[in-house]
Amino acid sequence: MTLVAAAPATKERTELDESIAPDHPWIVLVWNDPINLMSYVTFVLQKLFGYNLEKATQLMLDVHEKGKAVVASGPKEKSEMDVYRLHEHGLWATMQKDSL
Amino acid sequence: MARIKPPFAATKKGFSFNLGPEERHVVRRLIGEVGELLKTSVADDPKMARLFPPAYSADEEAETEYQRLMRDELVTSRLHSIQQVEEFLADDSVGLLTFAQLDAFSASLNSVRLVLGTLLGVGEADEDLDDEDPRTDELALYNFLSWLLENAIQALMDSSV
Repeated sequence: MTLVAAAPATKERTELDESIAPDHPWIVLVWNDPINLMSYVTFVLQKLFGYNLEKATQLMLDVHEKGKAVVASGPKEKSEMDVYRLHEHGLWATMQKDSL
Repeated sequence: MARIKPPFAATKKGFSFNLGPEERHVVRRLIGEVGELLKTSVADDPKMARLFPPAYSADEEAETEYQRLMRDELVTSRLHSIQQVEEFLADDSVGLLTFAQLDAFSASLNSVRLVLGTLLGVGEADEDLDDEDPRTDELALYNFLSWLLENAIQALMDSSV
């Protein structure tokens, strides 16, 4: 990924969202960074989430060109495990409540 | 550096591994150094920051809890990969790798790149090398690791088509 990483700085209304919609899913984001190789990011997304090459490549390009991409969503525990596995592979991943 | 064979290639039996003894030694040393850093570095060591990214960027409490629960897991998992890689790199006669070995190799190479890249302040890629730059040797090493990883990923992806 060749662009300078954008700092993840999105402010979420976590507590408020929780009281309104307890089952509201979480999203897992991967952020662009200047070290991870594009091919490596694509490979990791395929390996961890079972995405086909086309889908994984599109997500990688979104990360590269837009600065970030939502790579998974779901309940909090699952999202935390997804983030952990992305961190295990050195990707810059964060999670937050889906604000939509 | 002219090369006839790529460092890795998917075959029916596994992945062929063609890397000279000197290159194996360099890679093994670097991966071993990152292993030592994982065992000894303090939590806020800036050169290790990219190995432990934040999970919750806007929720300090949740982030503290995540780091408390997951940091040791991340260290253990990385050390496990590194140990696997050190074992086969120690034997110059190893010319065939399994998927799991090449996968662990890729993850470990990337860990080294994350630390080295952070130390070098790697910014936008394809930075031109200046012969006078005191970082030239390290940048060349970083680029060598990038080339090696790129080839490893290519072989892994070829095998899963």
